Amino acid sequence: MVEPLCVRDEQFRMVGADYRTHIPQVKRRTLRQELKGKPILSLLVFLVIILGCIFAGKLANHDPSGFYLQNLNEAPSAEFRFGTDSLGRDIYSMIWYGGRVSIAIGFLGAAIIAVIGTAYGCISGTANDKVDSVMMRFTEICGSIPSLLFVLILSAVFRTQDVLSISLVIGITGWFGLARIVRSEVRQIRNSEYVLYARCCNGGFFYVMAHHLVPNFISAVMFIIVSFISSCMTTESTLSFLGLGLPVTVISWGSMLSLANKALIMNTWWVIIFPGLFLVVTLMCITNIGSFFRKEVNRKHSNL
Amino acid sequence: MTLQKHRLLKTILKRIVLFMIAMLVLSVVVFFLARLAPGDPLQSFYGDSLEMMTQAEQHAARVRLGLNENILVQYERWIVNVFHGDFGISLKYKIPAMQVVSPLIGNTLLLGTLAYLLVFTLATLLAVVCALHEDDLLDRIICKIGTAAYYIPGFWLGIVLVLLFSINLGWLPSSGAYGIGKAADIGNRIRHLILPLIVMIASHLWYYAYMIRNKLLDEFRKDYVLLAKSKGLTRHEIVWKHCLRNVAPTIISIMAISVPHVTGGTVVVEAVFAYPGIGNLAVESAKYHDYNLLMLTVLITGILVFLSSFAAQTINEQIDPRMKETEAIKW
Repeated sequence: MVEPLCVRDEQFRMVGADYRTHIPQVKRRTLRQELKGKPILSLLVFLVIILGCIFAGKLANHDPSGFYLQNLNEAPSAEFRFGTDSLGRDIYSMIWYGGRVSIAIGFLGAAIIAVIGTAYGCISGTANDKVDSVMMRFTEICGSIPSLLFVLILSAVFRTQDVLSISLVIGITGWFGLARIVRSEVRQIRNSEYVLYARCCNGGFFYVMAHHLVPNFISAVMFIIVSFISSCMTTESTLSFLGLGLPVTVISWGSMLSLANKALIMNTWWVIIFPGLFLVVTLMCITNIGSFFRKEVNRKHSNL
Repeated sequence: MTLQKHRLLKTILKRIVLFMIAMLVLSVVVFFLARLAPGDPLQSFYGDSLEMMTQAEQHAARVRLGLNENILVQYERWIVNVFHGDFGISLKYKIPAMQVVSPLIGNTLLLGTLAYLLVFTLATLLAVVCALHEDDLLDRIICKIGTAAYYIPGFWLGIVLVLLFSINLGWLPSSGAYGIGKAADIGNRIRHLILPLIVMIASHLWYYAYMIRNKLLDEFRKDYVLLAKSKGLTRHEIVWKHCLRNVAPTIISIMAISVPHVTGGTVVVEAVFAYPGIGNLAVESAKYHDYNLLMLTVLITGILVFLSSFAAQTINEQIDPRMKETEAIKW
C-alpha cells in the first residue's frame, strides 16, 4: 500500500519571492515601440502620392493635356499651382496624372523582371551542370553590356512607345542580375528532401517551382524585387528625358522632364524641380519600404 | 614551372574564346535588332528629300546602301567588312561611321576613367570613415545621405546642377567638352568636366561605398583584428594596414563588375551635358535610326567593358591566387 503522494503546502516554507504570485509582468508595448524600425513615414508619403494619383481627377484643377497658350512658362501662382511648362500645360494637374503612368511602369517593369528572373533562375538552378553553366554564361555576357545601351537598341526597335512597350523594354533588359541571385538560392535548396520527395511524386517543374522553390527563397529576393520598382521608374524617366521613351503627349514624370532642356533655356525652374521632386520622393519611399523586407544580419560585436 | 605556364596559357586562351563569343553574341543581337527595327534607314539618310523620290529611285538607293538583300546576307557582309575595318557609312553624317566615332572615343575615355577612379577612391575613403564610426551618428547620417543621393536619377541631378551653377550662378559651363576654339586649354576642359563628374560620382558613389563598408565591417569581426589590437596597434593602423589589404581583392572584383554600370552612367551624363562622346552619339543614333553608327558605338562600348573586366579579373588573380580556384569556369 503506497500512500498517495500528496504534497501539502504547509509542509514547505517559502523562501524568497513567492513563485505563485510572482508572474513576470508582460509590458504592453507602446504604439511608439511597435512602430519603431518600420518605414511609417515612407509608407504614409507613398500612400499620399498613390491616393493623389488615383484621385487625380478630383485633385487636378486643369485639364492635364490642355494647352493654355496664354500662359506659357508661367511661374507658380494661385491658378497654376506649380506653374506651366513651355507648351502651356498645368504642371500641378500633370503631376497627378503623370504619377499614374510612372508608378504603373515601375510596378509592371518590376513584375516582368520578377517573372522572367525567377523562372530563368529556377530553370538554371535545377538543370544539370552543362545547361546551367551555358545559361549563366549567357546572363553574364548580357549583364556586362550596359543595360542602358540595351534599352537604347530595343527602344529604337519599338517605333511608337506606350506604357506597355516601355515596361517590356525595361523588363527584358533588367532581369539578368535577379536570375543569378535566384539561381544561387535555388542551388542551395534543390537537393533538400522535400524537393526530392515532390519530384519523386511526379511533381512537374512548375509545380515544384511554385510550391517549393519560390516560397523558400522569396524572402531573400523580395527586397531586390521591390528595389526593381524604383530602378524601373528611374529607367523610364531617363529614357523619356533622352527622347527615347514616352512621347511628350503621354504624360509621365519622365516625359514631363523631357522638356527640361527647353526649361533650361528659359530658366523656368518649376518645370524641372516639381516632377523631379515627386519622382525622387517616390523612389526613396519605395526604397525605404523595400529595405524593410531585407533581413537584418545580426552582427557580432566588433573586434576593433 | 611548365605546368604553371601551361595553365596560364590555358586561362588566357579561355578568356580570348569567351571574349570572342561575347562579341559575336553582342554583334548578332545588335545587328538583328537594328535591322528589324521599323524605322526606315532611308529616311535618316535622305531626310526630307526622301518624299521627293520616285519608287524606282528609292529602290536604287536601297540597292546602293545594301538594304535590299536578305538579312542574313547583310549580316555576313557586315561582319566581313568589320574585319576589314569598315563599319559602314553613318546614315546621318554620310561619312564612314568610324570617322564619326574615333574623335569622340578619347573624350568618353577621359570622362569614364576619371569618374571610375574618383568613384572608387572616394568610395573606399567613405567606407573607411563609415566603418570606423560604425553605428555612430556620423555613420548613420552618411548612410542616409548616401542612399538618398543614390536614388536621385542622374539626369535630373545633372539638370538641377546646370540650372543652379551654370544658368543662375554662371560659375561653370553647362555643356560641351571645351569652349569654342579652346580645345587645347586644359583649364577650360577641366571646368567642363566638373559638373559631369559630380553627377557621375553622386549617382555611383554610395552603391559601392556601402558594399565596401559592409565588407570592412565583416573584416573587423575577424580574429586577426583582435590580435593586432592586443599588439597595441591603433585603430587607424589596423584598418589601413590590415583590413583594407584584406578587402582589396573584393574591391577590385567589385570594380570589375562595375564597369558596365559606370559606362551606362556616362551615356546619361553625356546626353545631359551634351558632352561629345560615344554615349551621347549612341543616344543620337538611336533617335535617328542610324544603325551603322549605333552598332559601332555599342560594339566599342562592349569591347571596352569586356576588356576592362578581364583586366580586373587578371589583376585580381595576381593579388589573391585563391581566386583562380573559386572563379574557374567549368564547362
